[in-house]
Amino acid sequence: MLRRLVLLTACIACMTGVSPSDGRGLIEDLLHPFLPTHKKSSAKAAASSHVGEVVWSGLVMASNVVKPEPIPAELASIEPTLKALFGYNQFEVIGQSRETLNDGQENWLASSKHFALHIDAQGPNEGGYVLNLKLMQRETTEPPSEQLILETATKLSKRSPLVIKGPQIGSGQLLLVLVVQ
Amino acid sequence: MKTFEEQFTAWLDDQLAGQELAEFEASLPDKAAAQAEKKSAHQLRTLLKRELVAPALTNEDFFSHQLRERIARDEAVPASRERESFPWTIRRLLWTGATSIALFLVCAVFVMRDKNPSEPSPYLTQILNARLDPAVSPDATVSMFESKESRVTVLWTEGLKSLPSDYASK
Repeated sequence: MLRRLVLLTACIACMTGVSPSDGRGLIEDLLHPFLPTHKKSSAKAAASSHVGEVVWSGLVMASNVVKPEPIPAELASIEPTLKALFGYNQFEVIGQSRETLNDGQENWLASSKHFALHIDAQGPNEGGYVLNLKLMQRETTEPPSEQLILETATKLSKRSPLVIKGPQIGSGQLLLVLVVQ
Repeated sequence: MKTFEEQFTAWLDDQLAGQELAEFEASLPDKAAAQAEKKSAHQLRTLLKRELVAPALTNEDFFSHQLRERIARDEAVPASRERESFPWTIRRLLWTGATSIALFLVCAVFVMRDKNPSEPSPYLTQILNARLDPAVSPDATVSMFESKESRVTVLWTEGLKSLPSDYASK
């Protein structure tokens, strides 16, 4: 009887999980071995692992034309998705920026004549970067002015590009694309 | 043909007679010593008959009961030993298996219940928040989705103010 009680207690301990550091139990660790867990200890590792990575950010004008130009190299990997989602056959970069990340706290700008995409990195995170994005519309009036259109915070993953649908421009569409290269 | 030892034993027991007795006694090298030995053997026999008497049991029922119990115990031991040689009986194995499966199911239910199925994958880009300026586009809405095949995360806006084509210039 005593042995059965000890066995039952051990099973309950396993179920509840004796892992106070991150609040996850042994069973969960066993069932989900690849989930990120040790956030504190891996923060520095995450920062160092992202050093030297390049984030390409672009203002892309999508349109339908008779003879479409070849898609820019930065968008080649997502060309089928862009065409399927937006229904355009040409994607032209009207403004871009390529930023090399060192400490993950950088901020930069990708701009065209009438639009500016402000990107403010908030540091590396597990599996990506936290970025604050602001799409500004520039007016060339006197004096020149900027107007906020869209603001978003995103966790950009290395393996997962971000596409933002912007305003309709003429018969085309402004897209904002961010890719970790 | 009897050996000398057989004839001597028979002579001690007075079982030789007639010609056989005469021949044996004639063959004895020292008849006086043999007679003395025969006499002491007779005395020893008499003594043993007198002293070695089986003691009468006064509680033979108790001894019989003890013996029967011991025999019964000895007969029962092999069966129990056979049972103890493999402690995991079929019934115990079945119970252990059923208990293990039940524990696993309970653990699985706990773990699966805690995990939010709509939680996005940590390896896809995630939109943490998004805001459109209501002053510029008061009716605009924003939504987000992921294209799993190409791993593209899309922030989809609707109702933004359309702009003339000269805004597409570089």
